Order: sequence, then structure tokens, then C-alpha cells
Amino acid sequence: MILRVVVLLYVGALVGLPLVFVFQQALIHGLGTFFRALGDHQMDTAMILTAKVALIAVPLNVLFGVGVSLWIVRHPSWLTRAIDTLIDIPLAISPIIIGLVLELAYAQNGWFGSGLAALGWHVMFSLPGIVMASIFVSLPLVSRQVIPLLREMGNHQEQTAATLGAGPVRIFCTITMRSITWATAYGVSLTLARVIGEYGAVLIISGNIALVTQTLTLNIGANFDNFNDYQGFVGAALLALASIVLLLILGVARHRERKRHDYLA
Amino acid sequence: MTISLNGVTKYFGRDLVLDDVSDDVPQGSLTALLGPSGSGKSTLLRIIAGLEPLNSGHIELGGRDVTNVAVRDRRIGFCFQDYAPFRQLSVFDNVAYGLKVQRVPKAQLRREVDDLLSLVRLEAFANRYPRQLSGGQRQRMALARALAIKPEVLLLDEPFAALDAQVRGELRSWVRELQHELGITTILVTHDQIEAMEIADRLVILNEGRIEQVGTPDTVYDKPANDFVQGFLGPMTVLNGVACRPHDIELCDVGLGIDARVTDVVRLGFEVRVVVQTSSGESSWVQLTHAEAQRRSPFIGEHVSLRVRTTADLFR
Repeated sequence: MILRVVVLLYVGALVGLPLVFVFQQALIHGLGTFFRALGDHQMDTAMILTAKVALIAVPLNVLFGVGVSLWIVRHPSWLTRAIDTLIDIPLAISPIIIGLVLELAYAQNGWFGSGLAALGWHVMFSLPGIVMASIFVSLPLVSRQVIPLLREMGNHQEQTAATLGAGPVRIFCTITMRSITWATAYGVSLTLARVIGEYGAVLIISGNIALVTQTLTLNIGANFDNFNDYQGFVGAALLALASIVLLLILGVARHRERKRHDYLA
Repeated sequence: MTISLNGVTKYFGRDLVLDDVSDDVPQGSLTALLGPSGSGKSTLLRIIAGLEPLNSGHIELGGRDVTNVAVRDRRIGFCFQDYAPFRQLSVFDNVAYGLKVQRVPKAQLRREVDDLLSLVRLEAFANRYPRQLSGGQRQRMALARALAIKPEVLLLDEPFAALDAQVRGELRSWVRELQHELGITTILVTHDQIEAMEIADRLVILNEGRIEQVGTPDTVYDKPANDFVQGFLGPMTVLNGVACRPHDIELCDVGLGIDARVTDVVRLGFEVRVVVQTSSGESSWVQLTHAEAQRRSPFIGEHVSLRVRTTADLFR
């Protein structure tokens, strides 16, 4: 009983109240003002940029996550063990440091940046840089979901399919992917949440130029910095709403996954 | 289809797991690869299937060298010890998998899968999922799935190890009948010598990556090539410094054999073990049938005389 009260108070104070507060502030001037604020040009531009980044970064991370998981689980070697550990680095390092490291490497006078600039590629203060930072911070989120499932599955199903004449592509589509669909979906939700919500790494690498390289989170920050609190809360409410929808999807994915696991015994 | 193994050698890292293994498996035979764990028998089976590369030697199926042929092109039916059911597919789709790969027309595919399901007595389970089947049913499903591609060679890795004793016995005789009926060259891996002798018509006994002996169950049991084979195939004891089978020792009238004293009598229902100590202090044991034990009723402390039965005794 006491435990329940403590948990409720804890979650309520840390998550519930601030969330309610965000929506309360966003709707404080009524729905009409709220909908007008949604049409804010700077915010909309930022939102579209965030959507673009997510549309590029999430699929790339899914491909990478599933691919690297297969490699790590099916062809273990000293190299995959090293990669298995390296992949976790983005979770352990503060995003702001990730941003700084990327800047060091890709700024026009950086290690790779100078070479890329000579080819006409500019990573800093542009979409590629923001995508790169987003991929970096969410790197392990898919593979951390998929690896345990692949391990548990073993390779006998795949090998059996091979003895039945199936080629690698067919085996992947009909056997492997079907087993990791829900884990991947869960990883996608986590990645999406992380990419949409990323602030620190993107702040450094994008330069936070309004209407050009400002993502939604940066736009919210900028609004609060410029004493435009109301617009900031509207943006925050949008992000919170997106997170809630994602959480619901996540909940469904996890539920399906658990149900599937229950059957396996 | 015959299977020829010529000098198959396999290393895992620096460990030699198969050392120059050669054997010719005749068409239509049921061969058991028998050996203790770590003897390399499962590895050999995987090499024949093409699931594992080998370091040297070559493999022929029906006279064709398949050493460098990919798994998917060997057309070998393979069943794993855990049956590896495709968890996300129904029983029907599991069995249909190989036929779908071959793009068999729908109507024909339906007919063939239905035939296979009735062959393995799973007609009623076509729409179930593997998780809804018992161990024995899963094994039969895996067998039907392997047979669907009409393989000319069937490889079974410890096919009965994961089943409980009663189902195991039933499935053994069922698989044996099925194999005789289909006449498909079959190799199965087992560490259970009784299972091997019951089901197989040929035994290949492996130990530490080498073949110790090849032959029919009778030959291998009665004329073991060495101590390892003799010890592995059945119970062993020593009488007067000579290794022999405990059921080959008989209790005879005092003075006619080696004097001994009974130290223990263990009753196991169908057999009775009489543990003895000879006058020279050697410990040995005699296996009596239930009937023999009832006739003689040995007791602890009894003075007995032992001798090894010779073939001549059987015709007395």
C-alpha cells in the first residue's frame, strides 16, 4: 500500500504534473488562440524539419540496427564483440558531447569536414549534420531490442529453411524478419521518440538557425529564450502529444511481443 | 541414394573434431552415428548436410561430389534435435515451406501437404501453430516438412532425445517403419546405444572424432573391435582379469568355476544384479534374468562359483 502511494506520488510529481502543466499552459488562452499558434511559421518550419530528419534517420537506423544485430548474433567474432560494446556509447555519452565530437570531425576545418567541404558537402549547419547527430544518439535503440530475440531464436529455423532450398533473402523475409517484427517496431518507436526529442547534439551541429536548421525542440527552446513562453508551451504540447501517441503504439508493440513470448514456452 | 564420406576432417579452431572419417552408407539403409557427446557425430551430420564446412576430405551423394555444393542445393532432409519449427507459421505452412520455394502450383501443393500431414498423422492439426503441439507432434511435423522436398537422404540429429520415454519408444518404431516404407537413405545421430541398436540396421561408432567400428548391431555387439566399443555398447564387468558382459557370466555349482561371495543383490524388476567378490578380492557382477534369479534366489553372503558362458553352452 505504502509502496503504491510512493510510486504514484513519485510518477505524479515527476511526470504527471509537468505534463498537465504543459497542456494547461498551451490551452490557457482557449482553443482558438491555441490553433492560431499552431500556424506559427517558424514553428511549422521547425516541425517540418524535424519530420524530415525523422523520416531519414529512423529508416537508416532500422536498417543499421537489424543488420548489425544479425551480424553480431549470427557471425560472432572479436570484431562483433567490439562493435556490440561500441554501439552502446551513444547512450553513455551526453548528447552535447556527441554534438561537439561531430563538430570536431565534420566542421569545415575538422578532420573529415575539410575533405568533404572540398567535394561541396557541408555537414555542419545543415540537414546532413542534423540527421547524423540524430542517428548517432539513437544508434543502439533498435539493435538492443532485436539482439536478445535473435539470440533466443537461434539459427536452426534459418538453417532448416536453407535445407528446404530457400535462399538468404527468402529466409530473411519469411523466417528471421517475422520473428523480430515486434521487437523492431518497439525499437522504431524508441528511435523515433529519441530523434524527435533530441536537443543537445542537434543544437551544436545545426547552429540553431531559425527557419533553416531549427528543429522543433530547438524552436521550443528559442521561444522560451525569447520570452515567447506561450508559443514555447504550444510546441511543447505538440511534442508531448507525439510522445503520448508513440507511447501508446509502444504499449501495443510490447503487449504483442509479450503475448508472443508467452506462447513460446 | 548412397552417401560416401572420404577422409572427412574438421577442426574447430585448433581442436580436431573429425579425424579422417570415411564411410560408405548404402542406399536405403538406416545408419546410426553412435558415440558419446563430443565424439563429433553431430558435426559429421551437419557436414553431410552442408551446414558446416569441412577442412579436408569430400562427400559424395549418389556418386556426385557435393563437397562444395550449398545446403540449399543438396536436397537433403534435415531434422534438428529441437525440431526447429517455424514458430510464426502454421503446421500446414511449415510443411509447405519447401514446396513454396519450388513454386509448386497451389492445388498440387495443397494435395501434397495434405498427404504428408496424413502420413505423419497430423491432418487435424494443419491450422495449429507449433507452440500448440506436443513434442512428439512437433517432431512428426519436422519430419513431414523435411520429406516434402522428396529428399533422397534424410538426416536426423538426436531425433528422440527431447521426448519423454513412452513417446520416444512409439516414435522410434514409427520412424523405423516409415523409413522402411519410403526406402530413403537415413542417418541418425544418437548417444543412446539401445536406441541405435533398436532402430538402425547399421551402426557407425564414433569416438573422439574417429570411427571405431562399423557394422550391423549384432556384429558390433558380439564382436566389438576394441574395448571402447565393447564398453560403450553394453554393460561391462571383469572376471579373472578378463573383460566380459555381466549377462555372459553364469552362476554354477561350487568348484566348477571361480569362487566368489555375493556382496549385494539389486533387483530391477526385469533383471537382477548380483554383485560378487571373488576369492582373489576382485569385484564383479552378474546379470540374471528375473526367472533365473527366482530359480536360484541368491542371497548376500552366499558362496557361489562363476564362469563365463561360452557359445558352446548355448547349444547344450
